[in-house]
Amino acid sequence: MKHKMNRTTGFVMGALVVFGLTFSPVPTIAQQTAGQQPDPLESLPVKDREIVVAFQERVKDYTKMREAIELKMPKLAKESTPEQIQAHKTELEKRVREARAGAKRGELFTPGIAAFIRKTIKSEYKGRELVELREAVLEADTKGVPLRVNYTYPESKELVEMPPTLLLKLPQLPKQVRYRFVGRNMLLVDRENGLIVDYMLNALP
Amino acid sequence: MKRTATSILILAALVFGGLVGNALAQKPAPTQATGERVATAATAAPVNLTLPLKTDSVRFLAIGDTGTGTEQQKELADVMLRYRQAFPYEFVLMMGDNMYGGEKPADFKLKFENVYKQLLDDKVKFYATLGNHDESNQRFYKDFNMNGEEFYRFAKGNTAFYSLNSNYMDKRQLKWLEEELAKDASDWKIIFMHHPPYSSGGKHGSSSALREVVEPIFLKYGVNAVFAGHEHFYERVKPQKGIYYFISGAGGKLRPGDVKKGSPLTEKAFDTDMSFMLVEVAGDELHFQVISRTGQTVDSGVLTRQQPKAKPLNASHPSAAPAGQEQGNAAKP
Ligand SMILES: [Fe+2]
Repeated sequence: MKHKMNRTTGFVMGALVVFGLTFSPVPTIAQQTAGQQPDPLESLPVKDREIVVAFQERVKDYTKMREAIELKMPKLAKESTPEQIQAHKTELEKRVREARAGAKRGELFTPGIAAFIRKTIKSEYKGRELVELREAVLEADTKGVPLRVNYTYPESKELVEMPPTLLLKLPQLPKQVRYRFVGRNMLLVDRENGLIVDYMLNALP
Repeated sequence: MKRTATSILILAALVFGGLVGNALAQKPAPTQATGERVATAATAAPVNLTLPLKTDSVRFLAIGDTGTGTEQQKELADVMLRYRQAFPYEFVLMMGDNMYGGEKPADFKLKFENVYKQLLDDKVKFYATLGNHDESNQRFYKDFNMNGEEFYRFAKGNTAFYSLNSNYMDKRQLKWLEEELAKDASDWKIIFMHHPPYSSGGKHGSSSALREVVEPIFLKYGVNAVFAGHEHFYERVKPQKGIYYFISGAGGKLRPGDVKKGSPLTEKAFDTDMSFMLVEVAGDELHFQVISRTGQTVDSGVLTRQQPKAKPLNASHPSAAPAGQEQGNAAKP
């Protein structure tokens, strides 16, 4: 018992010291949090900005089109059953796929934006960070994800975590569409119907 | 911007010093010809509650990475059920990876509804967060109570809970989190998400890019505790910059021996069997007890609430709702 008391007292004192150190004012650099940082678009050279804005417009065109389709469907309730979720997803997938029949790779990821994204990743990730990102992406269970526009991202496959620090640097997307790594490639995936809207090769160096 | 140094971690820890439990082989439990499960050591182990069961406390269970539908997940669910007799928790926080390997209606049944049927029948609410194996559409599933959002807030008693989508932490989500926290006057602010900002896991380890963007927000707005999964073990991390971090990710899978030995982050870890956490928030104290699949208590203790820097201005999330009463989900992303 005595031994336990001594350990506890020692621990509490240690904790006080640690907290005394760690509960110090947050460093000034953290005052502006990631959510408050200005849009990186503002600091881009004019040419890059034009490329990014044009890309965002193309993505917006896609979301407008699929929103119009979804509006014509029964709305998915916030308290749906798995059957309702499945039915909604399948129907939305079918209708959007039909509406985009003939869509080809590179219609959203044009060579200009693809080069910009490669450049951004390359400048953000160097040395050990790049090795870690590559490991995380290549280890993920994404084998079998088709690199095909208008195909579905299989729901049994892992969705690789997108590093938030990278997301803050990439052109912001509407909430319906996501960047996803599959191997070294980057996909644009619709979060509701799972369709691969577009993809680009070798995004990751 | 001063964060005062008054937090004290008082650990009553641990009852069964060292890591308890036998290595768990991921094999099916014995079954009878009827398919009914045979009683195991787990179902026979006595309930040994260390939580105080104070009046009006907020009581919940935290579990992660559940979505397998294996016999082991069910055995753990049996223990969860038995502990509810002694500790009537009202809701469950799910740390993500709610559905491994597909999410057809049959998967929801196999990996969730059948496993936790009794708890669902007893009206225990499950609040989910999305993991790297979960589709966004899970946010519409009625029994995950996500209100159609990938990230959301709810409150119980003096405690606010924030479920974040750590798989896609973009600017939209960060902005929402910051705005919500800024007006949150709750005594306790608890985050739950899939990826752990701090972890001693050998396979994954700390999600450092995530930490880089969320930790400054947690610190700025006085987040008290963070619960995560992704790693298939239990870990109580030493307080980091004053914030308490837990990993409870062995609800359906186990990665035996994955906690790095001698990790400077670890206060306590358990990686030899599956587990869940019971949590009771009572006033300025957060009590916890971690139970293994065999019914052993593998960690327990009490944390004291860190002193807030200041009450937020224009608080729109009141801090004093009766315990157990939910305050509605906050602004949409
Ligand atoms: Fe995970």
